[in-house]
Amino acid sequence: MKPSAFEYHAPRSVEEAVGLLSELGDDAKVLAGGQSLVPMLAMRLAVFGHLVDVTRIPELRGVGPAADGSVTIGAATADTALERDAGLGRTVPLLPRVTPLVGHFQIRNRGTLGGSVAHADPAAEYPAVVLALDAELAARSVRGERRLPAAGFFDGLWSTALAPDELLTSITFPVWSGRCGFGVAEFARRHGDFAIAGAVVGVELDGDDRMRRAAVGLFGLGPTPVRAGQLEKEVGGRPVTDCDAAQLGAIAVSDLSDVPSDMNGTAAYRKRVGAAMVARAWSSAVTEAQQARSGQEVHHG
Amino acid sequence: MADTTVGCTVNGVARRSTVEARRTLADFLREDCGLTGTHLGCEHGVCGACTVLVDGEAVRSCLMFAVQAEGCEITTVEGLTSPDGTLSPLQAAFREEHGLQCGFCTPGFIVSATAFLRDRPHPSEQEIREALSGNLCRCTGYQGIIKAVASVAAEGRG
Amino acid sequence: MTGMRYVGQRVVRREDPRLVTGHGTYVDDLPARDALHVAFVRSNVARGRIVHLDTAAALEVPGVVAALTAADLNGLVREEWLDYEGPPGPGPRREFRLLADGDVRFVGEPVVMVLAESRYAAEDGAELVDLEVDPQPPVVRMEDAVAPGAPLVHPHRSSNVAGRITPPEDPELDAVFASAAHVVTETFDQHRYTCVPLETRGILASWDPFRAQMQVWVSTQGPHGVRTQLARVLGLGEHQVRVVMPDVGGGFGQKMFLVPEEIGVPLASRLVGRPVKWIEDRRENLMSGQHAREDRVSVSFAVDGEGRILGARADFLENVGAFPAGGASSIGFSSAVFPGPYRIPRYRATARAVYTNTTGRCSYRGPWMVETVAREQMMDRVAAELGMDPLELRRRNVVRGGDLPYTTAAGLTYDQVTAAETLDQAADIAGYDAFRDRQAQLRAEGRLVGIGISLFTEPSGIARGTLSTEAATVRVGFNGKVEVVTSSASHGQSLETTIAQVVADELGVDLDDVMVVQGDTATSPYGPGTGGSRSAVLSSGAARTASRRVRDKIVQIAAHRLEAAPEDLEVSAGRVSVAGTPVAGVTFAELARTAYAAPETLPPGEEAGLEASARYSPSSPFTWSNACHICTCEVDPTTGEVTLDRYVVSEDCGVMINPNVVEGQIAGGVVQGIGGVLYEQMLYDGDGNPLTTTFVDYLLPTTTEVPMIEYGHIETPAPTNEGGHKGLGEGGAIGAPPAVINAVNDALAPCGVRLTAQPLGPAQIIAALETASAPAGERSH
Repeated sequence: MKPSAFEYHAPRSVEEAVGLLSELGDDAKVLAGGQSLVPMLAMRLAVFGHLVDVTRIPELRGVGPAADGSVTIGAATADTALERDAGLGRTVPLLPRVTPLVGHFQIRNRGTLGGSVAHADPAAEYPAVVLALDAELAARSVRGERRLPAAGFFDGLWSTALAPDELLTSITFPVWSGRCGFGVAEFARRHGDFAIAGAVVGVELDGDDRMRRAAVGLFGLGPTPVRAGQLEKEVGGRPVTDCDAAQLGAIAVSDLSDVPSDMNGTAAYRKRVGAAMVARAWSSAVTEAQQARSGQEVHHG
Repeated sequence: MADTTVGCTVNGVARRSTVEARRTLADFLREDCGLTGTHLGCEHGVCGACTVLVDGEAVRSCLMFAVQAEGCEITTVEGLTSPDGTLSPLQAAFREEHGLQCGFCTPGFIVSATAFLRDRPHPSEQEIREALSGNLCRCTGYQGIIKAVASVAAEGRG
Repeated sequence: MTGMRYVGQRVVRREDPRLVTGHGTYVDDLPARDALHVAFVRSNVARGRIVHLDTAAALEVPGVVAALTAADLNGLVREEWLDYEGPPGPGPRREFRLLADGDVRFVGEPVVMVLAESRYAAEDGAELVDLEVDPQPPVVRMEDAVAPGAPLVHPHRSSNVAGRITPPEDPELDAVFASAAHVVTETFDQHRYTCVPLETRGILASWDPFRAQMQVWVSTQGPHGVRTQLARVLGLGEHQVRVVMPDVGGGFGQKMFLVPEEIGVPLASRLVGRPVKWIEDRRENLMSGQHAREDRVSVSFAVDGEGRILGARADFLENVGAFPAGGASSIGFSSAVFPGPYRIPRYRATARAVYTNTTGRCSYRGPWMVETVAREQMMDRVAAELGMDPLELRRRNVVRGGDLPYTTAAGLTYDQVTAAETLDQAADIAGYDAFRDRQAQLRAEGRLVGIGISLFTEPSGIARGTLSTEAATVRVGFNGKVEVVTSSASHGQSLETTIAQVVADELGVDLDDVMVVQGDTATSPYGPGTGGSRSAVLSSGAARTASRRVRDKIVQIAAHRLEAAPEDLEVSAGRVSVAGTPVAGVTFAELARTAYAAPETLPPGEEAGLEASARYSPSSPFTWSNACHICTCEVDPTTGEVTLDRYVVSEDCGVMINPNVVEGQIAGGVVQGIGGVLYEQMLYDGDGNPLTTTFVDYLLPTTTEVPMIEYGHIETPAPTNEGGHKGLGEGGAIGAPPAVINAVNDALAPCGVRLTAQPLGPAQIIAALETASAPAGERSH
C-alpha cells in the first residue's frame, strides 16, 4: 500500500502556492493535513503528479478576531489548535465542541480546518458548522481573492464551489452574542468514526424566552452537509417551551432527500438517528441558552 | 523520480537524506533510519501502530511524507527509553500491567499515551479510553493497556 | 525437593523489555539489503476466464525485475501437501494453486507476482499489468453453493461440497423427538469475520546456491510446519531448509499455514537468485489473507416438561471459500463438540462444508466455536419456550461432578470438568439474581437491558496426529545457568515467560537464570507449534519432563559429591544442599563443571553433561477446560447501539502458570468475540466483491467499546498432564459471542425480538425492532 510517485512542493506563501496550482493544473492537489488524502494516495484511489503542501505557509495558520467582531481562522490551522484555543470557547463554541469528535487526537494534530472543509466529506463535523453558522470562506487564486458564502459552498459529494486552481485560505465565523446556546450530537459506530448522522445546533433566545434565531446543521444525512431550513423557519419567534425537541428532530429530517444507504444503515435508519441527534443537540443548546441570563455575556465551556 | 532532501532530528540525532517524495515518514524511519520500532499495521491511518511524536505531537507516521518532516524533531518509541535501557514510566507500566502480548501495537500505544499524559496528567478512565481509541490492539482486549496508563497517571509519573 | 516459587505467580514477562522499547524484531524489521520486494496483481472478479494477461508494461517500470505468472511458478511446486493432511490419497484433496491459471475463483486471488527493488516500485509495476477477465456468475453465499444448478467454484469437481458428514439415521432419536413434551427448532447464522492480527503476514526467503540451503524468516505460528511443507514444495531435504520465526505480531489461527503468496516467495528467490520479501499489506490481509466463521446451524432439541434435554439434532453448513487453509473446515469438530457441558442423551449431527467464490477459510481461535454459538443461543431459546430462566435451564442440564467421567452422546469423554461450578461462580460474580430484579424495574421504565450466559467446554491441549507432541531440551551451561529450547514458539502467548517459570520451579533455580530459546528450526526440536490451546499442556509438559531429567541428574551427581543420600537433598536457587545442613551444599556451576570437565568424578554409570531432552504427549488427546461467560448490556432504542456493562468470565484452566497470562488470553479472546458480534464483518456484495477491505470498513473494537472484564478462577488440576494445566487460549473467543448475543436478545425480549444472525450492529437492531413493531419507547437524552 504505497502511493504513486509525485513531485512535492512546499510553498512558503499563498502567492507561491496559488502560482503552483495555476501552473500545474489538474495534476496538482493541495496537501493540507493529509489525514484523508494520504490514505487515498496510499491505496492509489487518487493519483496526482504534484502535491502542494500548504502547511508551511504561516499566513494560513492561526485564529484571529476580525474588525467586525467575527473570528477568522486560517485554513491550515490544525484541529488541535481549535481545541486548545482559549478564545474560541467564547466566540465560536461549536468549533471546540465538535473538534473532539473529529477522528482521534493523533489525526487532529495533523488535520486542518480548511482541509476538512475543502475535502467536504458529508459526514464530517466542520463543514456542518461552517454551513450552520453561515461562515464566509476566502479563496485565493492567481486571479485574486473570492469570498464565498457557506450556503452553496458544498455543492456535491466531496465537491465544493472552489475552482481547481483556488486555495481555501481562511474561514470567517460570525460571533453570536446575547442569550445563546450551542449543542452538538452525533452517532458513530465507534468513538472517532465518521458519524452515521449528526447535528450541530445554535439558538439565541430573547428576554421572553422566545426563539430569536436558530441554526441547525446536519451531517451524514446527504451528499453534502445540510441546513435544517424548515426547522429553523418553524421555530422563529416561538416560545422556547413550545419547541418540542423530538418533534423538531422529525421536522429536520422530514424533507431530506439523497440520504445515503450503506452497510452502516439504510437511509431510513440514518434519518431516524439524525432526528434523534437533532433533538439531543437542540435540548442541550436550549438548556445552555436558558441558563444565560438576559444581557449577560455567556461563558461557553 | 521526484527525489527530495529532508533534514530532521530523530531521537536527538540530526539526519539528512535524499528520499523519494512519496516515501512515508514511517518508511523513512524504519528503513532509512533503521528505527523499526515504529510499526506498520495498516498504512491508512487507522491502527495507530506507526504513531510517533513530531515536534512533540503524536501523529500517524504513515500519513505523513518524510519530506514533510523537514526541520522537525521526531521522537519514536526507541527515543522514549533512557540510553542505559531504563524503561520510561509508561513502558514499565505496560510490562507491569500485562499491557501487551504480541507487542506489535505496543509502540504506537506507548507513544500516544506519552503525549496524552503530558498534556493531561490526571485523566479519568473515560478520558484514557477516548485518548487511546485511535490505536488498535488485537491481543489484550485493552484491559492491561488501560490499567497501565491509569497507573502512570495515578502515580503522577507521566 | 523443589517448591512452586514461580508457577502460579503474576510474573512480569521476559519478552516485554524489547517489545515496549521498539526493539522487537518482526519479519519486516529484519535487514534485507539485497532483497526484492513483492506486490501481487490480484483478481478483481470473483469468477471468470482470464482472456488476456500481459506483463510487458510492468517490466518497463524502473526497479521492476520480474513479473511472474502461473506459467512461471505453478509448475515449480513439487508437492504442496501439509503434515496435517498427509500425502495425497485416493480421496478428494484440499484445493490449492499458487497463482490463478486460466481462470479466477475469488476477488483477491493472486495472478501475477511482481518483483522489484522496493515495494513502491513493485506496486508501480503491478498497476501496469494488463489483466482482462471475462466475468462469470459467481457463487457467493453458501446456500447458493448447494442450490441445484449452482455454478462450480472448481470446475473439475462434481459439486461445491468440500466435505460432508452424514451418519446413519437414528430411529431411537426420532422416537425421543416424537414423544417429547417440547420440541424446539431454530436456525442460527454466524457471519464471516476473521483473525486480523495487527502484524500482517510476511516472509523473507533467501536461496543460497553454495550451501544449497533455503533460509526463510516468516511470521508464522509454527516454523517446523513451514519447513516441512517448503521442503516438499521446493523438492529439497528438510535439512536444506532453515526456517526462523522472529517476533510475531499475533496470528489467532491465520498464521498456522502458509498461503500461496508465501509459498511463492522462496520459489521466486531460487528462480531469480536474490532474496525475496513479501509483507502483506492490510488491504491484502482483509481481502485475501483468509477469512473465518460464516456458518449456519439448524438445531432441534427435544425437552421434557421439567426442562431436561432428551435429545438433539444439528445440521451444520460451513463456507470454506475457494481455497481454504489446511484444516480449515471444522465441521467434524463442531458437530462433535456441540453437546458441550450438558447431559444430552441422544444426538445426531449432519454437516456440509461448501466451496464458494470467496476468500478461503482459515482457522480462527476456536475454529469449531459455532457449536457453542448455536447451542448457547438454543439454550436461551428453549428457556423462553418453557418460560424458564436461562440460568435455571442450564443448571438442570449441566454435567455435574457426580456425572464424571461423562461421555457425551458424540462420544467425547470428560474425565474432569467443572461446568456447574463455573456457572455458579459467574452467576455469583455477576449478581445474576439481583440483575433480574433490577431488570424488571428498568423494563418498567422502558429501558432495554439484558443479561446473557454462555457455558462451554474447551477441547484444549489438542494432541492428535501431527499435533500429538511438543518437545524441549533443557541444558545447564558450564557456568550453571539454564537454557530451555522449545519446539513451540510464542507469537504473543508469553511462552518465554511461562515456560521459564515451569523450568525454574522444576529445576530449583532463580527465574532470571533461565532463558527460553525458540523459533528456529536449526536449533529447536521438531514440533507443530502454537494452536489448539496446546502450549500450556504440551510445551510445559515437555519442558517439565526435560527439567526433571536434568534435576534428577543434578541430584545424583550432588549426592555422590556430598556423600549424601539423594532423598536427603534440597534444590533451591541453583544450589543443592543437604536438608537441615544448608552449609553442606554445591552450586549448579560447580556441578556443571564436574559434569562437563571432570566426567571421571561422576557417579559410576552417569553420562557426562547436564542436559536432557523430552518429547511430550499428554495422556489424552483432549485436556478439557471449561468456562462460563455472563455479560449484561443495554440497547439504546433510538439508535440501536449496544453498550456492554459488565462482563464476567469464570474459568477452570487447571493449575495456572501465570494468572496475568491466563487473564490476558481470556480478555483478548473475549474482545475478539465482542468485536465479531457487534462490529466486525467481512461483507461481500452479490457479485462477490469484498466490501470491507480497510480498517475504515472492517471495524475492530477499540478502548471505548469494551468493558472491563471480571474474572473468577477455579483451579482443578487436569489429570492429563503432570502440571495439571489446561489450555484456554481459544475460550474467550468461543464463549463471548453467544454471551453477547444472548444478552442483546434478552434486552430486546420485551419488544418481541430475537435475532439469530449477526452482526448486531445498531442498524440491524433497529430494523428488527421496527419489524417487530413493538413500542420501542423513544427516549430523549
